[in-house]
Amino acid sequence: MSNPYIPNIAVIQGVREETPDTRTFRLKLREGEFTFTPGQFIELSVLGYGEAPFSVTSSPLNREYFEITVRKVGILTSALFKLGKGAMVGVRGPFGRGWPIEEMKGMNVLMIGGGIGIAPLKPVIEYILANRKDYGEVILLYGARTPSDIVYKRELEEWKNTIDVHLTVDRGDEKWKGRVGVVTVLFDEIEVDPKETYSIQCGPPIMMHFVTKKLVELGFSGDRIFLSLERLMKCGMGFCGHCTVSGRYVCKEGPVFSYREIKNFIETAI
Amino acid sequence: MIEVRSLLKDFTEEFIGRLLENFQVIAPVRRNGRVFYEMIANAHEADLEYTGRSQLPPKRFFLPEKEVLFTYEITTRDVFIYDRSEELEGLKRIFIGIRPCDIHSLKILDKIFFGKFNDPYYGLRRKNTLILGLTCNVALEYCFCVYMGSGPGIENGFDLLLTDLGDYYLVEIGSDKGRRLVYHNIDLFRSASPGDLEERRRILSKVESDMKKEPFPDLDRLYKAMLKNFEADMWNKYGESCLACGKCNFVCPTCICFDVYDDPNLDLKSGKRVRVWDSCHFISFTRVAGGLVFRKERPSRVKQRVYHKYCYSVDEIEMFSCVGCGRCIETCPANINIMEIAREVTGL
Repeated sequence: MSNPYIPNIAVIQGVREETPDTRTFRLKLREGEFTFTPGQFIELSVLGYGEAPFSVTSSPLNREYFEITVRKVGILTSALFKLGKGAMVGVRGPFGRGWPIEEMKGMNVLMIGGGIGIAPLKPVIEYILANRKDYGEVILLYGARTPSDIVYKRELEEWKNTIDVHLTVDRGDEKWKGRVGVVTVLFDEIEVDPKETYSIQCGPPIMMHFVTKKLVELGFSGDRIFLSLERLMKCGMGFCGHCTVSGRYVCKEGPVFSYREIKNFIETAI
Repeated sequence: MIEVRSLLKDFTEEFIGRLLENFQVIAPVRRNGRVFYEMIANAHEADLEYTGRSQLPPKRFFLPEKEVLFTYEITTRDVFIYDRSEELEGLKRIFIGIRPCDIHSLKILDKIFFGKFNDPYYGLRRKNTLILGLTCNVALEYCFCVYMGSGPGIENGFDLLLTDLGDYYLVEIGSDKGRRLVYHNIDLFRSASPGDLEERRRILSKVESDMKKEPFPDLDRLYKAMLKNFEADMWNKYGESCLACGKCNFVCPTCICFDVYDDPNLDLKSGKRVRVWDSCHFISFTRVAGGLVFRKERPSRVKQRVYHKYCYSVDEIEMFSCVGCGRCIETCPANINIMEIAREVTGL
């Protein structure tokens, strides 16, 4: 019987600095191939420090390696930041239900990311870029705390050639000439047809609360609004109980839920 | 048709002694007037005369309060992981004197641990443990298994089931493995008489009617009332008295939430990954990276446990994950009584 608690060993192939506290780690399993659906997550082990969940951020079409983008906020991430190329980490997964990328084909896609919440949207963007003709108009709204907190700066420049990218920051600096304010301010820059558009979002609960409210006002139906919930996914398999919201296991049944599902939760999700 | 035998009490010690030759035996043991399920070394340690519930539920023999999932070793060129579940492959245990409500709790855990994913630590322990149950003949204070459909008798989920009929036990055979246990020790067993089954029914209905003196809502009504009352004021009252100590979780036979952490050795090059029981009443339970806590207020944590028992688990596994053992009521230092909660939420 294979044991789902035993991590596979992966080797760090490279590390990129995104912001002063955020890095992207390129990983490759020592044995076997890693495949995933955008929106799924892995449990990453730094042996001696434990395990934590991270969204996979590379293209799902890439079979050479996969990536995670990590903000240094705690013990495990601090330990991970000390590791460089060649170091070995543990990987379990991928786990969970990802974004409805197949269902979205033929439609417009509106993506809304807040802070590090852009991480699980990146593989969707990569997938859309590789299958551009399968999707209609594609818009990304992205809000960060400050200009220096914007992750994927290089990628954002590239994406601008193919999709419609709008940025805002909570607090600007002397060089920042763009929008200032929470991500919902960007809605006045775009026009969307809610009947022809899927919206997918990830960010802090407070952001998703207001973005969802805005989308509902614009006429989006509950099954056209998708959210990736953040919870403490420990085991990834619906056993340990930490990630439940309203009795649903975010690790197993999510992390992506439609607003139609969330709306029926008795416990508040966002 | 149930297959029955009987076992004279004079022979039980001999029977347990023979079991000890082939199995690790878990049995009810009396310590300072309290009863615990424990691993025994001698047949006389087992106390099959105990009434009611053991202090702690059986889950710790299937999901120990602390267990090593794997050990690891980091060398300059490599990383090695040693799966500790492999050690459980050859386990051979028998759990004797376990109550029907507790057997029922294992059926609930089976639904969780043998789902889309398989937990090998639970799975191997469970598969390698025979169940020799013991029907309840007394309803203790706080017992309400009759309302949860989990006792005082039980129809399946055991290899053998004993019912105390005075000088002897009625022995029900519940599986082929149970039948083999009887046949291998056939010299100790007699055939049962039709009157024995009648006597068993009489005992059970006495226990049931004793238990029913304290009311409890119909389960369907309970489930629906829970759904409607998530925002009710009553939860603030219970949240106010709850000490968030987690005792109710630890004595509950169906609370299985756990935490996982790494425990490195002093060389920092080796260590183990450990899981320990956790409690949804602890504020750390829902804390994510960055410090956000999703169930910060105590009422939300009291609700989490009760809703899991009477609502969420019905949706998840089509079973209520409460067996009416009464341990949480008996143990709560703040006198929170889940039967009272159930009555209040349904207006009973």
